[in-house]
Amino acid sequence: MSTRNLKQKALLFDSTRCIGCGACYNACKEKNKLPQTAVNFLRDDLSADTYTVVNRRNNRYVRRMCMHCEEPTCVSVCPVGALAKSPEGPVSYDASKCMGCRYCMQACPFNIPQYEWDNPITPRVRKCDLCRDRVAAGQQTACAKVCPTGATKFGDREELIAEARTRVRNNPGRYVDHVYGVTEVGGTSVLLLSDVPFDTLGYRTDLLLEPLPQLTWNVLHKLPKIVGVGGVLMSGIWWITKRREEVQRAEREGKLRDTQK
Amino acid sequence: MSKIKFRWPRVTFWRIVLFAILAAGFYATILRFTKGLGATTNLSARFPWGIWIGFDVMCGVALAAGGFTVSAVVYIFHIEKYRPIIRPAILTAFLGYLLVCVGLIFDLGRPYNIWHPLIMWNPHSVMFEVGWCVTLYTTVLALEFSPLVLEKLPWRRPLKIVKALTVPLVIVGVLLSTLHQSSLGTLYLIVPHKLHALWYSPLLPAFFFISAIALGCAMTIFESYLSLRAFRKGIEFELLNKLGLVAAVALLVYLVLKVFDMQGRGVLTLAFQPTYEGRMFLAEMLLGVIAPIVMLLIPRLRNNQFGLFVASLMVVLGFVMNRINVAITGMDRSSGVNYFPSWTEIAVTASIVGAGFLLFGLAVKYLEVFPREEMDEIARGKRSELPVLAAFRQPLWSATTLALVVGLVFMGATVGLSYDGIRRRVPAPSELAAEKGDVNINAALGELRVPGDVAIKMGKTSPGVVIFSHARHVETANPDCTGCHTSQFKMLSTSPDISPGKKMQRCGQCHDGVKAVSTTDKERCDSCHARH
Repeated sequence: MSTRNLKQKALLFDSTRCIGCGACYNACKEKNKLPQTAVNFLRDDLSADTYTVVNRRNNRYVRRMCMHCEEPTCVSVCPVGALAKSPEGPVSYDASKCMGCRYCMQACPFNIPQYEWDNPITPRVRKCDLCRDRVAAGQQTACAKVCPTGATKFGDREELIAEARTRVRNNPGRYVDHVYGVTEVGGTSVLLLSDVPFDTLGYRTDLLLEPLPQLTWNVLHKLPKIVGVGGVLMSGIWWITKRREEVQRAEREGKLRDTQK
Repeated sequence: MSKIKFRWPRVTFWRIVLFAILAAGFYATILRFTKGLGATTNLSARFPWGIWIGFDVMCGVALAAGGFTVSAVVYIFHIEKYRPIIRPAILTAFLGYLLVCVGLIFDLGRPYNIWHPLIMWNPHSVMFEVGWCVTLYTTVLALEFSPLVLEKLPWRRPLKIVKALTVPLVIVGVLLSTLHQSSLGTLYLIVPHKLHALWYSPLLPAFFFISAIALGCAMTIFESYLSLRAFRKGIEFELLNKLGLVAAVALLVYLVLKVFDMQGRGVLTLAFQPTYEGRMFLAEMLLGVIAPIVMLLIPRLRNNQFGLFVASLMVVLGFVMNRINVAITGMDRSSGVNYFPSWTEIAVTASIVGAGFLLFGLAVKYLEVFPREEMDEIARGKRSELPVLAAFRQPLWSATTLALVVGLVFMGATVGLSYDGIRRRVPAPSELAAEKGDVNINAALGELRVPGDVAIKMGKTSPGVVIFSHARHVETANPDCTGCHTSQFKMLSTSPDISPGKKMQRCGQCHDGVKAVSTTDKERCDSCHARH
């Protein structure tokens, strides 16, 4: 499952550098050819037509988008493999496989996947795909390209983590001493820096530090064993009880014959 | 073989109710498949699974518990005395799984892809396993049920084949359905941050499995009543009595495990707090676990027909409550929305259940679900149709009725109170709208690097090249990229999309002579053109 390697791409979002200009929001709309959904982009929320938002929380500007987990919960729960994480990092969606069970939405710890609720025939799950085509072509994501302050920065994940730690170390007092996304749910490809506690920015700080797919796999990987043992056990019981019945019948008939003699 | 004659059914109260439900369901179905899930359900990105999963799927599967319990008892353990209730039990299980399948077709966004898990494998997904279990067990149940239809047909060969397959089928069926019962719990293992701590536990699969065993016994007792002969001949009351005891033991194990698990996780006190979840949890445990344990462990009540029946009914109701609590009540708080099913969701669910009753009735009428001579006796009025009513004359009926009534009142009151709780709970404040004060972006502005100059392609009539300067256009103290991007000018294109025909118009949005020098002011072309 893990696709950890040095070449893996990621985004670093530094909320202390965000001026709330909305360039990333609009670049995302432009790149993905999405219609406008809000008069004031700061009040917009994720939807089937909005893959990333800039919101104001705790008097900071903060982005929200798919975190592109290292071991994505959505990829693990999808029964048909419609969601997949590519070696470069993006978690992307293949609508042709999807049957619309929405387990990905139910399971995502960040509540990211959105749905085309008003499409009666071919609804799709919609979310940021980390500009998969641009990244594959060696470009940075649209949101990172247009950011005028470098609040959103694109790069290799390991390098970005190192840079984030350097920023925290070199600017004492400017940051909360934590790079969000290094360990949360086993690590994400979107990393966050902030000068206020992350939960005040709308990011959960009580997330488990292990990958969530492990929680179900712990149980699922035992299934073949359970099926094997259970099958043998029940066949055994069936055989024993059947045999006992046959023996009883034979004894009864034997007695009957004895009395007749 | 009797001929099937068509007659118009008599009009009775329950038939009118059934017809109304089915009609509403039909209308809701049309709406669902023409307007989509968004327009017809109260589902949202915050609450993607509603009652179609929480009730239709989770509880439809539960109806099968009687089926696999009885068939295991008869075919695997060779306890022949239970044979008379095999057919109603299998029929109920089959209908339960049809309820699941039909519910899924309504709930899935792309129901025509429902077969995809069969060829597109992801063994890491619990849903993948559930999909396989549903498919295989529905097939097994269809085969187990098929003799009822096949024996009506003139050909004997298929019947023989199916009968020869019975034992392997039953073994596969028991395995699949027990796996399936627990894997519905496993589905929720992956939402530790969303499911309320009263229900989330690493032991969820075990809880689902153990409660399914208790339910299997309860459903069997319940179905024996339906089988009309339960306490007359055929099945001896002793056997049902024993099943009741097994159910009590299973529930006791469940209760002890649950208490220890909650104690271990330190959430036991949550159950007694006056919250919506706490009340629903207490109702579920008191009504569906503790009360039936007490009733089933008191020999006088267990040995009473009606007492046993009521205790089983409470186990079934408690089970349904538990599944709905896991799927809906427990997910409510973390979602930030207050989900309550829309009328279409309720109408579809009600009509699937109604259709189940209808099919059960038709099967009893036209197939040999119950032995023929008994049906004749009932038709001649020799036997009361509902042994339950006859049981009212039993000595302990008042005590047990009281328990049932108290239970139902308690459940009703709980639901009523919690409904009130839902409405009174303040909706998650829209934090975005409530923010006050300005963001101090001075530190961030230090990082501002305004994009460089952009040379704009010259048109034929242009008086000189224009070099657009971001620095001159962006107010660095209060930069606003969205004023021009992307409404006027694209952001990402490598060559500025300012074709000569459009540039005057686009620049002219601001260069109108009021906000800035007009694009048509012939005297001041040099303000922008070839300034450098």
